[in-house]
Amino acid sequence: MHCVSTNILITLENFLQAIDTLTIRFALAAVLLPLLAFVINFCLPKKSNKVAGWISTLAILASAVLSVFVFSKVWNQHPVHQQQLWFTIGSTKLYAGVLLNNLSVLMLLLVSLIALPVHIYSTAYMKSDENIKRYFTWLSFFCFSMLALVVVDSLVLFYIFWELVGFSSYLLIGFWYTRPKAIMANKKAFIMNRIGDIGLLTAIAILFVVYRTFDIDQLFGANALVRSTDFQLPGGWQYVAFGGIFLAVAAKSAQFPLHTWLPDAMEGPTSVSALIHAATMVAAGVFLLGQFYPMFTGQELTILAIIGLFTAFMAATIALTQNDLKRILAYSTISQLGFMVMAMGIGAYSSSLFHLATHAFFKCLLFLVAGIVIHEVQHIKDEYKLDIDPQNVLYMGGLRKKMPLTFIACLIGAIALIGLPLTSGYLSKDGILIQAFEWSEGKSWLFKLVPIGAMLTSWLTAFYVTRLVVKVFFGEFKLAQINPHIKLHINDGGWQYKVSLVFLAICCLFPLFSLNPVLYEHAWLLTGFPKITGLDRVNIYHTIIPVGLNILSLFVIYWAYAVYVMEKALPLPEAGFLFRFSYHEWYIDKFYNTFIIKPVLALSKSARWFDRNIIDGFIHLLQRTGIAFAKVAEWTDRYIVDGILHSIAYTVLGIGNFARSFQGGKVQYYLFSMLAIILAIFLFKTLF
Amino acid sequence: MISLSDFLIVSAGLFCIGLYIILTKRNAIQVLIGIELMLNAAILNLVAFGKYDRLNNGGQMFALFAIVLAAATTAVALAIILNVYKKYKTIDPNNINELRD
Repeated sequence: MHCVSTNILITLENFLQAIDTLTIRFALAAVLLPLLAFVINFCLPKKSNKVAGWISTLAILASAVLSVFVFSKVWNQHPVHQQQLWFTIGSTKLYAGVLLNNLSVLMLLLVSLIALPVHIYSTAYMKSDENIKRYFTWLSFFCFSMLALVVVDSLVLFYIFWELVGFSSYLLIGFWYTRPKAIMANKKAFIMNRIGDIGLLTAIAILFVVYRTFDIDQLFGANALVRSTDFQLPGGWQYVAFGGIFLAVAAKSAQFPLHTWLPDAMEGPTSVSALIHAATMVAAGVFLLGQFYPMFTGQELTILAIIGLFTAFMAATIALTQNDLKRILAYSTISQLGFMVMAMGIGAYSSSLFHLATHAFFKCLLFLVAGIVIHEVQHIKDEYKLDIDPQNVLYMGGLRKKMPLTFIACLIGAIALIGLPLTSGYLSKDGILIQAFEWSEGKSWLFKLVPIGAMLTSWLTAFYVTRLVVKVFFGEFKLAQINPHIKLHINDGGWQYKVSLVFLAICCLFPLFSLNPVLYEHAWLLTGFPKITGLDRVNIYHTIIPVGLNILSLFVIYWAYAVYVMEKALPLPEAGFLFRFSYHEWYIDKFYNTFIIKPVLALSKSARWFDRNIIDGFIHLLQRTGIAFAKVAEWTDRYIVDGILHSIAYTVLGIGNFARSFQGGKVQYYLFSMLAIILAIFLFKTLF
Repeated sequence: MISLSDFLIVSAGLFCIGLYIILTKRNAIQVLIGIELMLNAAILNLVAFGKYDRLNNGGQMFALFAIVLAAATTAVALAIILNVYKKYKTIDPNNINELRD
């Protein structure tokens, strides 16, 4: 009996292990398929534009299907972790492998699910661009880096893919590299991300020195080393490591003070903005926080919360007055990322990741809508040769009649971003707010500022989102008012657009995340993470906050609608200080230009001056001295050494010629010589 | 009474004149004449020194032989000059310089 049961157990174990191996293989395939597409696209001939698009799309489709499978196998079951020896340095063994836990499979699914509609959309959006092959090559490369980033189990690999994500983002922002603005933007993004990379590298190095391992599971997993009391990081190093990670998060997830690259990154194609700068790459910072979460102390978390809130509030106020459609969305992304970081800081770990997931869908949707709108305005601009910026919302308006599907999709995305009930945004954002109030409970009044600021920010969000939607879709088409002869024949675009929009719009609604549209506590996503707090409806906050928040949001929306559609007075006079402060993005870029970029440039200029004039001058002096010495030596050689030799030679030649002259062949000379010699001998004999 | 030294002085003068002619003249015939003058200076010496041999008259005999020999050499020399002229169309010794190195 015993034997049989053991056998069954062993068989069961083998079976389970086989399933685990299969899961790992599927996850690996999901990661490597975009890489394969990248390689194929890279090798394709230059003119194979259509093929390239479909290869990348098929690869990401397969990745998405595999991710769904992997997700279903791992979510809320045991984590799967397999690794093998990578290389050995001395006695240090480095392992590389795949770690699938709730966090990584969620990200895997999210990235591939967001990337899929973006790929489909891109096949239509980029079809008139002649470099579409290059576009899809880099897009696949980006997907590969991002997917790999979320599943690797070693901090070394994590760092490599972290860099690759930044690098492919650099390539895609500068996709239209003939535009100087795009080049400036991708340089800015790259440099800002480098600052973060240094932080991450420092943190990884410190962790390795203390714990002697790069294994994410060992470091931060169920029995996290970083939580064990045996290995406390020495006081100072804990702060350095936290500072490094914070820098990395701030750079990737565009948190204050490293957020300024994200609005500029909108120079890339809109589909890239949708994928990278709204849904996936910027999520890497929050993902990093999620991975490293166990190592933060309470004080550090408070700092995170404050920075996150500040970022959210600042970005929201800036978004109020921007006129560039994509820039508004970029600032709204920064604001929402601020919410996520704040949520991490107040301990709402699962809510933060929940917001990450919902935000990815509705922000991607809004960007795709923006892409379609910009595309159509660009067509009008090209057709009538207008001198306008196709991204400026002031020229749009009244598009809802021409593009009904786009309008509805945008409306759904906007409502989700504002966080009204029935949408996914409501579930995640209100969850964060409720937990923020609970967190501040029992602390000093200063901590109360965090939830209050967050509520204020979400009303600001309601305002600027309404402004955006109203400016683009309501009222009359502004260009047609200026030039009455403009005829609008624009529409929703091809099926690629429609499929992507409909898919994302459905994902923005509540049923995907929770069957109960008003109570966030029931969202299935929250059950997947260990830190579940604030899910019991213990206090009044769980009722009063969503209700109060949303009623006020409705008022704000109506106010914005009143301001922009019925054209009542502006809430802020355009000449006022607050308006300019917001319009110039809090003067942060100007501040950086004046206090960082200019001194750095001045420093490099002075270094260049030093190099040119002092170091080069010294070298030139040496060179000139050398030349002078050489000239002296040459003169000596030519006139003294050679001169002696030449004079000897001339003497010999003269003597020879003198002697030769006696051998003239003239008989009488011979006789004369003989006579002279004999006479000389006689004279000699006679005298001596 | 004419002394021996007078003869020797005339002989030396003749020799010098002959030598000068040999060295300076541009005509092989004149050069030949110079040679003859020098030869005659030598013969004059022989005859002058002949007074110390009154018994055998060795000096005078030697002079006779020398005159004959001189005639013979002159014939040979003239023949050479003729051949030279045939070859070079000139008898200026300056132009006949094939002896040079």
